Amino acid sequence: MMQSFLLLGLPYVAILGCIAGSIWRFRTRRFSYSALSSQFLEDKSLVLGSMPWHLGIFVVLAGHAAALLFPRVWAGLVASPTFLLSVEAIGLAASALAFVGLSVLLVRRLTNGRVQAVTSVVDLVVLAIFLAQIVLGVLIAVIHPYGAAWSTGTLAPYLWSLLTLRPDASLVIDLPPLVQAHLALAWGIVLLVPFSRLVHVFSVPLAYLWRAPQVVVWSNPRRWSSSVAAATVLPARRLFLRGAAALSVGGALLAAGTAETLGRFFFGPRLSEEQQARLDARKLERLRQTQREKELAVERAAQRYIRIATLSELDARKGRYFIDYEMRPALAFLGEDGLPLLISAKCTHLGCTVASELDAQGRVLCPCHVSFFDIKTGMPNAGAPAKEPLPHLAWVLMDDTQQVVASRGADGRDYGRVDPERAASLSVYIAKREERVS
Amino acid sequence: MKLHRTVVVLLAFAMPAGAHHEFQTFVQSHSGRPVNCALCHTSPDGPEGTGAGQIGSLTEGERERLNRARAAFEPSPVVDSPILNDFGNLLVARLGKRRILELRSKPELVAAELGFANDLDGDGIPDAQEYLDGTHPLSRHHGAPLRLFWHELRAHAFQVAMLFAATAITLYGLISVLRGFALRLQAHESGDAP
Amino acid sequence: MSTATDPLSSRVARFVRERLPAEKLNARQLLIEKEVPQHKASWAYYLGGLALFFFLIQVVTGLMLLFYYQPTVSDAHASVAAISEHVAGGALIRNLHAWSASAMIAVVIVHVLTTFAMKAFARPRELTWVSGMTLALIVFTFGFTGYLLPWNQIAVNATKVGLQSIEALGQYLPGELARWPTYVRETIQGEPSVGQATLSRFFALHVILLPLATVAALGVHLLQVQVHGMSRGVDVEQVKTERFFPFFVIKDLSVWGVAFFVVCVVAMCLPFDALLPYPLLEPFNPLGSTPDGIKPEWYFFFVYYPLEILPYWVVVAGSTLVLGTMFLAPWIFGRTSRRTLRVLALGAAAYFLLMTFFGQTVYEILKGGQP
Repeated sequence: MMQSFLLLGLPYVAILGCIAGSIWRFRTRRFSYSALSSQFLEDKSLVLGSMPWHLGIFVVLAGHAAALLFPRVWAGLVASPTFLLSVEAIGLAASALAFVGLSVLLVRRLTNGRVQAVTSVVDLVVLAIFLAQIVLGVLIAVIHPYGAAWSTGTLAPYLWSLLTLRPDASLVIDLPPLVQAHLALAWGIVLLVPFSRLVHVFSVPLAYLWRAPQVVVWSNPRRWSSSVAAATVLPARRLFLRGAAALSVGGALLAAGTAETLGRFFFGPRLSEEQQARLDARKLERLRQTQREKELAVERAAQRYIRIATLSELDARKGRYFIDYEMRPALAFLGEDGLPLLISAKCTHLGCTVASELDAQGRVLCPCHVSFFDIKTGMPNAGAPAKEPLPHLAWVLMDDTQQVVASRGADGRDYGRVDPERAASLSVYIAKREERVS
Repeated sequence: MKLHRTVVVLLAFAMPAGAHHEFQTFVQSHSGRPVNCALCHTSPDGPEGTGAGQIGSLTEGERERLNRARAAFEPSPVVDSPILNDFGNLLVARLGKRRILELRSKPELVAAELGFANDLDGDGIPDAQEYLDGTHPLSRHHGAPLRLFWHELRAHAFQVAMLFAATAITLYGLISVLRGFALRLQAHESGDAP
Repeated sequence: MSTATDPLSSRVARFVRERLPAEKLNARQLLIEKEVPQHKASWAYYLGGLALFFFLIQVVTGLMLLFYYQPTVSDAHASVAAISEHVAGGALIRNLHAWSASAMIAVVIVHVLTTFAMKAFARPRELTWVSGMTLALIVFTFGFTGYLLPWNQIAVNATKVGLQSIEALGQYLPGELARWPTYVRETIQGEPSVGQATLSRFFALHVILLPLATVAALGVHLLQVQVHGMSRGVDVEQVKTERFFPFFVIKDLSVWGVAFFVVCVVAMCLPFDALLPYPLLEPFNPLGSTPDGIKPEWYFFFVYYPLEILPYWVVVAGSTLVLGTMFLAPWIFGRTSRRTLRVLALGAAAYFLLMTFFGQTVYEILKGGQP
């Protein structure tokens, strides 16, 4: 019963009380809408207390407001661990600042005789409640951390249910007692606003940042330059303030979005075993490829002959790729005469590697700029980008005892003779120097 | 001599030798994008050869997997052929080997029969759609540009909104500071003037 | 005014004094006193700054990529793939680099055309123009060298085709000279065919030499722009002006903000690689055939398609002539009216658009086939 009053009844009492009280105070004692400055009574510890207190409480309240008023946006932001941790850290630091400031103010009220004279009971009550509220908040942050995250799913909907006049305490009823006490105290503070110096929150000079500049200008000519300076320095200061505020908000947003990813970018990937294995396999495959190329080069430097295939493996329609002595790609076909037909596969236009399958007219295609080469003559088709023919390559045929039985020169002339019976046992080679058998 | 043989055999299979050219031809003409065997196979040069992911280089265990996969004539829950990639295996598992062989004459039906529910790479474009588009069904960074863009935009809507807010606010701050400096400068100048 | 009787040294001294007037070389003159003309074509004044902005993005993202990229033929492709797949934010950084590169080149092209049309090269802005043309050339070289680094099929094959076209020059040269283009090509490649040596030197060019050259040329360019101000750009006697600081700077920054947002969104949502067929993105295989669809990047289409369509010597002679004319524009077009220059620039823009967007169609109409 007590609990549901504190969670559902007190809020409405507080809000209504706050509104009614403010109106009453505005109508009856309009000029008391202020913090009742005691600066002229004592100013040293006032600055020491007031500055940190206001700065701290402003940051803390801004954080609370952002999380409770825009829970969805906020939930998206705190999904980033960096942002969440930063918010918690900033929140704790600001609370500490506010606590220190408030303590100084309290001590001042209690010890300084001149200030004591103007201190009412309400002032002391307000200070004590705030001190308690801050202690509660810090305790919550320490004992139930990450409130910036969990409040979006509990406190924010609760607050919105109150504001939309569909009060629903089910989401907060099971929260820890510390949180409920913090909530109740918060409503208490709202209720206190119109009846204490707290009323000055309604006159926070935020409008200062946007209102038109108001400057008192001396009509005295001697003061001319100082008044002009004042007329521009004040707006300039306002611009700087506004700029600094926007830069810190924008910078904080940018940092929230990128800091974590950036950190992880430079931290580097830590792959799972499976990912690492896949990456290593890919790299290994590439290393093998590089190794193959190197082996081909070494082989060509050292060997007098390079074996292409057995004669029976050659096909008349589909060429076999091989690499010639200059490390250029070439194709091996079976010619119409039953002998090998070796032709360069490096397009004479811009050096792409031609395809290996013949089309209906016995031509291979270079896919880069569409030249068709007749493999018998090597000639490109009319109008093709390539003008020069693909050159034929010389070859030798050897039997299994490594005896050269036949060969063809680069000029296309054949030497030696192939016995059709033995053809199956012969292998096709390219030779470093042209070989002729009689 | 052994080296020679390896080299020649390797080179012999450097060209796509895939058994299912019909699908490749259809995808290329339908999408206008060139594709190769890596759409469904492990190796971009097709299953035959001795390169990685080709039949010639399979270990004993992989051969067994290949034989089991080749027996999947009817649709089955899992197919795990070493010469197929995840998309190829999905196709065989869903349609069965027999149906795939039949579809060689109607490659345009593959997408509809596979259905548009699967998205192996999680790029927001169903595998069947990627087949029609000629984009890679297993690469998160590859897809028909417009489809990919809209999907990613929706997926990143929050970041985009935050980026917009951050850029706008930072810009506003920078401009304010600049104007502040300009005012200071102006004050400085006109202060000297009279 | 110089006359032929002046000794050369005093003419040089006068030239330098006019381009770098000592009384203007102070912060007050360079930043505060500068005025920017305001007229219908004022939008063109933002292009140089925009190109600079994209260049800055390139520097930052490029440095980040350097942390992971490995410039060897065996590792380059895998390291790039690892950046996209495994490094946090790697795909975004790589896409930012690619998109911002294209954006930078596009902006540079428009910048060159608009400054030409506005006759921004006229005296005393010759140095601005020449340093700007140098920057434009550097930017294209950045594109050409950077394209090779991922070492995939399209990268290596397009580079091969590009470099091989130098060699075709040999057929027009007599005797021993005919071999020179081959020497030039092999010097650029560092070996007879594109391989590790090419990758190493393209990498060195892309990450060390070209950035240094850019900083030097950019220094001259920016100093000249600030000393002489923006050219008036239009044939109106009375031109409204606004102060460079803060008004123009504020607008410039706003343009940068919009560009930053747009390029980030595009890089976040559309991988640059998705524009290419995937077989072209596989690692380069020197022992296999060349895959279909090898083409240079879009910003080379304006020389690529003419190379495909016209006889080689026409293209070479034409581009040498155009390039020479562009570099010497301040002295060639010194007396040309802005109206004529605008027509020339519009013609060039139309040509660029035609070749970039419809080059393929033009080719097919003229040649009847796929290039």
